[in-house]
Order: sequence, then C-alpha cells, then structure tokens
Amino acid sequence: MLDKILYNTVLSQTLSPCGKYLIAGNIYSQIAVFDLDRVLNPVVELLTTDYNKPKYTHTLESGRQVCSLASTEKFLIAGTVNEIFGWDWKNVVSSKLSKPSWAIRVPSQSSSLEQTDVNSLWLSENETKLYAGCGDNNVYVFNLEDGSLVSTLKGHKDFIHAVHGHNQQLVTASEDGFVMLWDARTGKSHNKVQPHANSKVARPDVGKWVGSAAIGDDWIVCGGGPRLALWHLRFLDAVTVFDLPDHGIHVSFFHDDCVFAAGAAKHLYQLNYSGEIKVELPVSATTVYSAVLKTTPNKILAIAGSSPEIDLCTTFNYRDQVLHFR
Amino acid sequence: MGKEDVSAKKRRKINTSTTSETSKQVPVDVYKRVVEFEESEAQLRPAEKDAAFFKKICQDIRLLFAEIAELKAKDTEEAREKLNAKRIEASLNLVALKKLNRLEKVRTRAGRDALHKEKQRVDSTHLLLQNLLYEADHLNKEVTKCLQFKSKDEEIELVPLEDFYKDAPAEISRPELTKNDEHQLQLARLEWELRQRRELSSACNELVSSKERVAAAIAAARSRLDALVPHLRDVLKSTKPLQECLALRLDDKRDEAKAASLLPSPLFLLFANASAYSDALGAKTITVGISGDEDEARRLEQLNNVDSDLVASNDSDSDQENNDDDQREKKKRHHRNAKISKEEKAEAKKKEVLKKHPLSVQVSVKVQDGTALNLIFSYLLHLKIIVVKFTVSLPKPITGVSAADVLNGHCILNELYPGDTGSDSPHPATSYLLNAAGITEDFQHFISELGKPYIWAQRMCGLDFMATITEDQKFNKNIHLCPSLSVSTVENFILTLKKRLKSRVELMKELQDLESGKILPVKGDSPCPVRLSGSLTQWQSVGWPEYSQSPSTAFLISEGLVNPNDMLYRAIITRQSAKLVALVALRSDYPKKAPMFSLTLHWNGTHHAGINNDIRDIERVINTDWGSEDNKQYTLSIQIMKLLTCLDILLETSGSSEFPPDKVMFCPVRGRNRVKPYKFLKQGTGVFVQY
Repeated sequence: MLDKILYNTVLSQTLSPCGKYLIAGNIYSQIAVFDLDRVLNPVVELLTTDYNKPKYTHTLESGRQVCSLASTEKFLIAGTVNEIFGWDWKNVVSSKLSKPSWAIRVPSQSSSLEQTDVNSLWLSENETKLYAGCGDNNVYVFNLEDGSLVSTLKGHKDFIHAVHGHNQQLVTASEDGFVMLWDARTGKSHNKVQPHANSKVARPDVGKWVGSAAIGDDWIVCGGGPRLALWHLRFLDAVTVFDLPDHGIHVSFFHDDCVFAAGAAKHLYQLNYSGEIKVELPVSATTVYSAVLKTTPNKILAIAGSSPEIDLCTTFNYRDQVLHFR
Repeated sequence: MGKEDVSAKKRRKINTSTTSETSKQVPVDVYKRVVEFEESEAQLRPAEKDAAFFKKICQDIRLLFAEIAELKAKDTEEAREKLNAKRIEASLNLVALKKLNRLEKVRTRAGRDALHKEKQRVDSTHLLLQNLLYEADHLNKEVTKCLQFKSKDEEIELVPLEDFYKDAPAEISRPELTKNDEHQLQLARLEWELRQRRELSSACNELVSSKERVAAAIAAARSRLDALVPHLRDVLKSTKPLQECLALRLDDKRDEAKAASLLPSPLFLLFANASAYSDALGAKTITVGISGDEDEARRLEQLNNVDSDLVASNDSDSDQENNDDDQREKKKRHHRNAKISKEEKAEAKKKEVLKKHPLSVQVSVKVQDGTALNLIFSYLLHLKIIVVKFTVSLPKPITGVSAADVLNGHCILNELYPGDTGSDSPHPATSYLLNAAGITEDFQHFISELGKPYIWAQRMCGLDFMATITEDQKFNKNIHLCPSLSVSTVENFILTLKKRLKSRVELMKELQDLESGKILPVKGDSPCPVRLSGSLTQWQSVGWPEYSQSPSTAFLISEGLVNPNDMLYRAIITRQSAKLVALVALRSDYPKKAPMFSLTLHWNGTHHAGINNDIRDIERVINTDWGSEDNKQYTLSIQIMKLLTCLDILLETSGSSEFPPDKVMFCPVRGRNRVKPYKFLKQGTGVFVQY
C-alpha cells in the first residue's frame, strides 16, 4: 500500500500577515506551516535536506479535509467541514497546535450524514466580517468579533465554489453554473451570470460548474467548466473570452491589471484584459486549487493543488522553488 | 822489495843447500821447525812493539837513502867509502824489515785462523739454538691441540647433578671420590647415563615387540570382520523384501548419509539442517535429497586431499598460460588452428572456474494443494558460493499465461528477503577470482546458466559474507562456516518460502480467474454489493519497457516505487465506449505489499493521473484506501472490484447519457476539487459518499 501523502491534494493556502509563513491545508486534514524565510533566504550553513518541507505539520482531530484558509492580523482561519476554526498565529507557528482559539459551527441540516464543506472563505476589507461559501449552497456571513451569524445568502442550487467581494459587492461561483452578485450590505442578490448559457464560453464536455470568480472595479472574472472569461460588471456580458488549454478553471483573480488563472492545466496563466497570455507559469499540480499572492513585505506567489508539491514564485514570472507537502 | 824477495830466496836456497846433507830424510822438519819457531816467535813478540820497530827501521832506511843520495852527489872517495858502509847498513835494515814482515804475516794468519775457528763455533751453536726453538714451538702446538680436544662425552646430555646423586646407586656415584674430583664425577655420570640408556633401550624393544603383537591381533580381527561383510550384505539383501513390505526407508537413508559425507561442508550444513526440519515437519512440507555423481565427488575429495590450495596453483597456471598464449600468438602465422585451440582453452578455463561440486542438495517445499518448489543448491568449488536453481511442480496445469508466470517465472524467489534479488554474487572475491582466471564477463553473465546466488542461500549454508566484507579484504581467505547461522536461516527460510509459495499459489489462482475475466467473489461480505456494469476484458503480463513507457506510470517510477523486478500486468476494463487500462505492478512479496495501479482512461480523450484529477482520485482510492480490511488474501481481486466500482461512479457522475446513474449517492460531486463519491457506506441499501 502506498503512502497516501503521495496522492496529497492541497485545497487551500494562505500567507501569514507578516509574510513569513505559508499555510497549506490538504484533504487529509493536515495543515502545513512552511517557513518562507528558510526557503527564500536560506543560510547555507544551516541548510538541511528538508528545508523545503513543512516546518510543522498539524493534523486536525476531526479528520476532515481543510477546504479553505484565510488569515487576519490576529488569526489563522480554517474552514473544514461543518466548522470554521480560528487559531492565534503564535499558536500556529509553534510545534504543536493546541485547541483553536475559537470555532464557529456552520448552521447546517440535522442529518449527521450530510456534511457541509466550507469551500471558500473571504474576509471583508476591514476584517470584521467573514464570508463562508459552503457546501449547502449558502454563503454565511459571520461577525468576527463574536462569531455570530450576521446573515445567510441563499440562492444557489448547488454548492458554492468561491466567494469574493469588492466595494460592497460580492460575487459567488457555484457548482450549479451560476455566478451571483450580491449586495454586501443587504445580503440580497441583485444579479447573476450564467456562463454555461453563453455559447462563446460554454464547454459542455467539461461541465457547467463555475470553479472560481473574482470581482474588480468594473469587471468580473470567472471560469470553471465554461471558459475563463471577463464579464463587464454592468452589462453582464462576456467581453473577453480567454482561450486557454484547460479542463476546468479553479483559480482566478485580479492582480495589477492582470488576470491570474489556473486549474486543470499544466500552467498558471497571467493574462491581460484583451486576452493575451503574458506569462505561463508551469505548475507541479495536476489541477491547481489554490494560488495565493502577496506583495508586501515580499512578492510571493504560491501555487498548490492535486500534488504534494507547492510551487513558489517570487517574481511571478517563473517557478523559483518547489515545496514538498509530504 | 824485489831485492828483499831475491835475498829471501837466496837465503832459502842457502838454507836448503846448507841443510841438504844434514837432513836428507827430514828436510821438511827443518823447515817446519823454522816455521814453528817463527810462529812461536811471532806469538811471543808483541805486535805493537814490532810495529814501532818497523816504523823505526823504515825511518832509518829513509835516512840512509838520503845520506847515500848525498854522498853520491859528492862523489868523492871518502864518500865512496862511506857509501859502502851505508849500503851495508841499509841492507841490514832491509833484512830486519823482511823479518818483521814475515812475522807479521805469520801473526795475521794465526789471527785469521783463530777467527775462523771462532766463527765456526758460533755457527754450530746458532744451529743448535734454532733446532731447540723449533722443537719448543712444536711442543707448544701439541699442547694447545691437546687442550682443545673435545671429548665425545661433552655432547651427551647428562642428568643434572642433584638428580644424579639422588638416583644413582652409591657404587656408581661414589660421592666420597667424585665430590672432589671433577673428572671422576664426569666418569661416574657417564657411567650412570650408559646404564640408564641401556635400560630404556631394552624397554623400547620390549614395547615395539608388544606393539607388533597387538598389530597382528588387530589384523587378524580385521580380516575376520572383512570376512563378515559378505555375510552382512547377504543379510541386508534378504531384509529388502521385508523393508519393502513394511515401507521402511532404511536403505535410502543409509545411502543419503553416505552421499552426505561427500558433500562440501556448506551443502552438508544445509543438508543436515534441512533434513532435520524435514524430520520435524514431516515429509509433506519439506523433503531433502542429494543428487549428482557420487563417484565423481569421491574422486574430487581425494584430489582435494592432495592439493588443497587449488586456487593458488591456478594462479600460477594462468601466468604460465599467458606466456604460452603469447608464444602461441607468435606461432599463429604457422598454425591457423592455434586460435581455435586458444578459445577452447579459455572455454575450458571458464568451465573450470565455474565448476560446481558434482553433488547438489535438493530441497523441495510443498504447500497444501500439492504445489511444490524444488530448489537445487549447488556449490561452486572455486568461487565458493552457493547457487540455486529451482523448478515448480504443480498438481494440475495452469491455464493462464500470466498466472503461470507467477509460479514459473524468475520472480517467485525474487526479493524473498528485501533487496535479495540474487542478481550478483554476494562474495566480494568473486570478481577478483573471475579476473584471475582471465574471464572478462561479470558473474551476472553466468547466472542464467549456473543459477542464482541468493544471499539467503549462502546464509542457509552457513556462509556469511557480510562478516568478511567488514574485515580486511583478503581474497582467497577461507570463509568460516557458521552453523548457528545456517540453523536459524533454514528455519526462517522454510517458513518464508512456504508463505511465499502459498501466497503465490493463491495469486496464481487469482490471476487465472482474472485472465478468464472472472473476478473472484470475495468471501464474506463484499465491500460493494452493488451491480457493476464494467467488466474485465483482458488481463495479461507486460514487460518493463511497455510499463515504463506509459505516461501513467511515470509518477510511480520517479518515486522509486516500482522496479523492473516487479511483476507487471495490464488489465483492461471496458464499459460501453469507455476503456480503462490499468497497469498493475505486483511486488515480489505480494500480498504483504498491495499491488500498485496506474490507470489510463480512454473515453473522450485519454486521461491519466498526471493530467486528470478524477483518475488521480481513483488511483488514490485503489492504491491507498486500504482501510481496516484485514482480508489480505485477495487484495488484488478486492482492488479490481474497487476499480470497477470507481469506474462506474466516475462514468455515471460524468453526466453522460451513455451511463445512466444507478447507484445511490448523496451528491455526485463535492468540494472545490469536485471529488466523486468513491467511498461506499453500508447504510440501508448502501450509499456512496466522498469522504
């Protein structure tokens, strides 16, 4: 029997606010803490063979997959199944992970068989509200001060893949093939996009699901089973359809007038709004489920997915390092 | 002087004339008397006085002559007279002078005679002295010779003095005499020695004769025993029918023991231990035998006694041979067939180095259903290692091709212990020995012909090369056998081999079923009591090149989880238009380690784990989700069942109309990774979930 870690799949990543640690969560309910200082600025004398392995690997008691991760100034937030945990950063970067500082239970159905994955976590800009896109088709909004449920965004007919927000607007991508736009203040959906219904974008052989969506000032970028496309926020029309050789998009976001996209493809793509590919970053994972980016204090891009390897880029142009989550 | 001589003659004439008549008969006497007189006169007169007298006369004569010359010059009468007187005076002086001269002559002669006489006396005395000295010297030499003389008795080792006084009887030791006299003591001791030696010699003779008597007795007894042999043989022969009747193996055992004594010591150890096990476990599980040419072995043993250091002599041979070869090379132009004979020689040499002991030990291990593995252990005499060949005997023929491979192929003994592939000699000196014999090929080259030198085989025979590696690397060193190692290894090996054989037989049955497209129904509760729509359409073994070229296996190979020694198979599972090719790698120690599957799905394009996450998920389920199932017996079948289930789920959740869903599942996809519900939960009729 093979070691299951060979088939490791990293579902989520986040960077600590100080930029020194990369946190990755996998389907085996493990949270790995990588010391980026050690990886990026190695001291040759202290270099050991496991420098590119996790500094600490914490295993959650529940045994559930770590679906999503987010970080605030004070806490590392992890969305697993049915529960969201918060740990103090000091606690995370110690060799043994103690009990979480706080835990929020997702208000789910009574049946014990039905389990609600917390697929996506998004923090409002002022870090007071936590948006959790869940496996029970709802987005829950929690107050981070006391952990209370503020509101529930209902409307999707299948589980949520991603939640993202900008300027009091929220965008959610779901397995049901819809991308919904919400008003963050009222918690009401005011618009939706149906990429699989658009003949330019749809790919029936891959599916109608939307794996990722992000919102900017004027644009929404989303993709999944349908092609990655740039939709105008007001006209809700696919302005640019990116022609990528992928089998499903799982990651897409805006950064610096560029669209970053990855998924079931050999590369992570950086595209401009007119659809040209600017950078093709080769990735280790069969399918990329997570790409996190931070520019302060250091430029860092970590790409992870269905592989024990995590690719690390400091320039966003090529792969500098490969971390091993095993 | 002339005048004087003349005058002397005149006087002698006068003398003779004067005495001629008086002494006619004694003229000599007169002369003699004169002579004697003159001689005595010469002795009586002192010589010095004569000398002074002589000088005075000479002076007188000179004066006379001067006066005469003066007178002659005057030439007067008076002078003439004076001259005559002077002349007479001068003549008288001359006579006196003459007398003196004669006296002197006599004296000189007398002196000379005296000197001569004296000289002769001195000479004779000197001669006498020389003689005496020589004699003294000779005597001295004789004395030293005597002093240096070594007596024979000094070489004789005598008993120490204290023992001598203690043991010797008083008539020999005679202490009152010997205590003071060293010589007497020596004599006494010698006498004592002589007596003792005489006694011992007689004792020796006695013993020799008694020994001869005993030897004669023994010879007589032996001849009687020899006479018994034919009788015994007859008795044995007559018991044979009885033995056969009672099914006793007494004869065989005896023959075996005889053959065993001829075995080289490693094989003997193996034989002894293995037959002990055979006795303990019964002939059903393990039987041991010896095969080969016993006469040849006997001859070899005799040969070995003659020259034990075969290898060393071999070395020198090879040197010589090289020279021969060189020479032959030169002659090659003349003899065209020289090269051929050289090759033949090399071939013979190779054969010699790789020579096996003529006897080999056969161990056959059986499992319950009658499948038996016959191992033939042979000993390479010069390389000093054990090689193993084996055959498998089956109770009934195997139908499947790949199934047969499991038992017949190279792999049944492969990695019986981790890392022991038997592909190279475990003895560090082997390559050296091959080189020394002028063989350029590695030992691996000969393995197919000789058999495999597994490490367990060496250990079973008590050969432990690890110990020699750690010590200093002395080639040609005799490796000591370690009996305890053999004992423990034989036990371990037989158990391991039985386990391996049993699992292989089961695997063979499994594969036989798989090859005919049947998947063995798992006993007890099946992990998946649902209808499976896919079917196994092909199962066959594949080679390493094909296996390694498939993109789906790149991951396993790069992780070093599969190697060419594993048993590799290709399974094809089809369901309508979908075709799943699974490359399966079975480790040698299956079922201890589960088979590893690498999948490629041909449906809407080609998918494998490197590019498709669903396939990767299925591989994860098949290869890692072992769960708590402890039914290790049918791992392969269980995995294939699982694979069929997973394929159904994958196809049914794809939403294609070709594959209508007919399995109960909560949600067809779940999570951001859109994982399919591969896990079966026994709830109600059964339901598939993701985690």
